[in-house]
Amino acid sequence: MVSLARTIRSIRRVGLREWWRQMQYIGDAKSGRFVGQDQFGNRYFENLNAEEEVPGRHRWVDYAQHDYNATQVPPEWHSWIHHIRKDPPTEDRIVQNLSPPWKAPWVENLTGTRGAFRTYNTTKPKYEAWEPKSLPRGESHP
Amino acid sequence: MSFVRALVAAGPSARLAAGRVTASRFALAHRWHSTSPHHSHKHKDYLEPEAPVRSPGVHVYTAADEPGKDYDPYKDGPSAIDKAVHLFFFTEIIRGMWIVMEQFFRPPYTIMYPFEKGPLSPRFRGEHALRRYPSGEERCIACKLCEAICPAQAITIESEARLDGSRRTTRYDIDMTKCIYCGFCQEACPVDAIVETQNQEFSTETREELLYNKEKLLANGDRAEAEIAANLHSDHVYR
Repeated sequence: MVSLARTIRSIRRVGLREWWRQMQYIGDAKSGRFVGQDQFGNRYFENLNAEEEVPGRHRWVDYAQHDYNATQVPPEWHSWIHHIRKDPPTEDRIVQNLSPPWKAPWVENLTGTRGAFRTYNTTKPKYEAWEPKSLPRGESHP
Repeated sequence: MSFVRALVAAGPSARLAAGRVTASRFALAHRWHSTSPHHSHKHKDYLEPEAPVRSPGVHVYTAADEPGKDYDPYKDGPSAIDKAVHLFFFTEIIRGMWIVMEQFFRPPYTIMYPFEKGPLSPRFRGEHALRRYPSGEERCIACKLCEAICPAQAITIESEARLDGSRRTTRYDIDMTKCIYCGFCQEACPVDAIVETQNQEFSTETREELLYNKEKLLANGDRAEAEIAANLHSDHVYR
């Protein structure tokens, strides 16, 4: 009956409304510390209590979009939620200091949409079609 | 049966040694093909008393002489192995069902991707990216070491001198459908230009989208530079 007690405990903590949202997306009642929010509105949570959350499931994200996608997590939070970095980017000084000013905005994987990447040639073509030019009569060749 | 005679002439020990195989094979065949009790002549010899019997009525009977007494009650029923198998396999089923019931009342171990994600190494080799210097200048100098070392020959590089005289790539194509994600390119790179980011979620619906060119790789690097640099920083003491 551990999982039932866990479910009831999480419902009492997060409230019925949040629990309903969790059931629609994660499919499991979870409760933990609110760690932060990224620029897209995705919310990140953590619960390090091994009695309440199985280790390995202790970090999770609540996607802002209904049509959620794993690539909607920006790279800084990606390294946190994949347990690559211990601290979230809001507290990680290394990630903050290594963010360059020319950092481009993150876009999710746009495959299957009109924004999907289509490759193209980045060099000048090796050969070009011949474009005939005729000089008018009476003019000399340059 | 001349060979039997020869064996008898050879003596009892030789008969014992050489005749064991034939005798046992014969006994086995008898047991297989006959339903009557097995009477061995040799057996009777052994049980006959040595001394002459004085009284005419005295005779030593064995179980083999009395019909029905040599009946094996386990002959047609299940053998001891069968019964042991049934006993132990049944307890195994009970034990397995007990484990299932224990797990039923435990919180699930399933990592609910994409809400929860499994751990990755900072050295994880995922999607490729071309990095820039902090000034914004692109790192790649078109030395083509990555192209040379690539075991899948997925990288194609063409280079030209820029207007300021520095050599830069005009074409840096990676065929991600060829790439085997071995990481040799980022190890070969002298300027840390080509790296494999920790992004593993770049699956596409068409193969065409996986033919990356230089712009795509640079865009990957521009987006994920903070993560790439932090991961390189966390490993810089081991490099």
